[in-house]
Amino acid sequence: MNKISVYVAGEPNVAEAVRTAKLMASELGFARIQAYYIATAASELAANLFIHADGGMFEVSALTDRPGLELVVTDHGPGIADIEKALQDGYSTAGGLGCGLPGVQRLMDEMDINSQPGQGTVVRARKWL
Amino acid sequence: MTTNSLAPIVTLLQQHRAAISSEWMTEVLRVWMRLYPGLVNEDELRRQADALLKELGKLFSEHSGEAPPDITGNSELGEIARELSSERAKKGFKPADTAQYVITLKNVLTQHLVRTLNESPTSLTLCLRAVDDVLDRLSLLTFDAFVETRERVIAQQSLSLVELSTPVILLWNNVLLLPLIGVIDTVRARQLTERLLESITKHEASVTLIDVTGVPVFDTSVARHIMKAIDAAQLLGSRIVMTGISPEGAQTLTKLGISFANVISRATLRAGLAEALQLVGRRIEFTGGVHK
Repeated sequence: MNKISVYVAGEPNVAEAVRTAKLMASELGFARIQAYYIATAASELAANLFIHADGGMFEVSALTDRPGLELVVTDHGPGIADIEKALQDGYSTAGGLGCGLPGVQRLMDEMDINSQPGQGTVVRARKWL
Repeated sequence: MTTNSLAPIVTLLQQHRAAISSEWMTEVLRVWMRLYPGLVNEDELRRQADALLKELGKLFSEHSGEAPPDITGNSELGEIARELSSERAKKGFKPADTAQYVITLKNVLTQHLVRTLNESPTSLTLCLRAVDDVLDRLSLLTFDAFVETRERVIAQQSLSLVELSTPVILLWNNVLLLPLIGVIDTVRARQLTERLLESITKHEASVTLIDVTGVPVFDTSVARHIMKAIDAAQLLGSRIVMTGISPEGAQTLTKLGISFANVISRATLRAGLAEALQLVGRRIEFTGGVHK
């Protein structure tokens, strides 16, 4: 069980993504609070897939070189026009609270966003053990 | 075409229907009785098999021409197959075991055709192809019906889950409790908000306890749903006391940058109840029992 993918097209899939992330986090030996952070970050990232794009792939994988866990979400949606703005608290294009992406950044240890307008978005977020 | 190239099938289904039906059912029952004892009604199955073979014969006899006859879900034959398949689905049969029903029939028919037409290979080929084609379509039809039934069952279950999981409890005069358990998605959020608002109006609740002990993950969408419910409740004049946020949940909420500004929050439902009672000017008192 090094990598699990869930295709997220709607809310029920988000719950599934959260369960897989939580399970892998606790199997890798993350502390309760860390696992909770990871699960919440997974929920934010997975929800973005169907809120901002028509759906996309959610992956959770175990990192081995330096022990940790990585969440990757990939979509072929409209992309993020202004990444800097998307990382500001309170900024939302979909009527949300605007703390999803900045929240993920704080919940995880590392996060990088690769987005091409009109092509899609890939967000990677890592947490070290 | 005056001579139907598929006539041998019609003859076979007329003259040997009993034998085919019996061979077919013997095989199907052998497997199903072993896998699903108690779920198989033998008489009913035999009746269905006879009806299906009769319809199959009709289909081939009414048909003329080279192209194999078409089957739709609306035809008598399709109806029988769908009904049988959805019954299997309801009883919890596996899809493969259900599909086996039509596949077994195909095997039996093929054997019979090979036996009767071994002298005329051209006719045999035509007939086998037609049987193949028709029964494959029948297979697809039963598979569709199976999946449809299962999906209906799942949809029903999730509906009953939604029904079950959003009670609003009158805890004391003017004090309501809304215990949240499980994943809060848009559908549930809407429903629980509606119920909460109805109850607040009905009971003229001045305090509402929202207990989130059973919410597995507190993310921004859950927070947003709950905030909206709280806002609406406050518009109706009810104070909100939120209880049961876990230490992990509290830390996660601060990391996310979410604060429930106008809400009193208590770690446990017990503390929340005490607070709520105080807000309505009451308290729980020891009246001299065995336990202190």
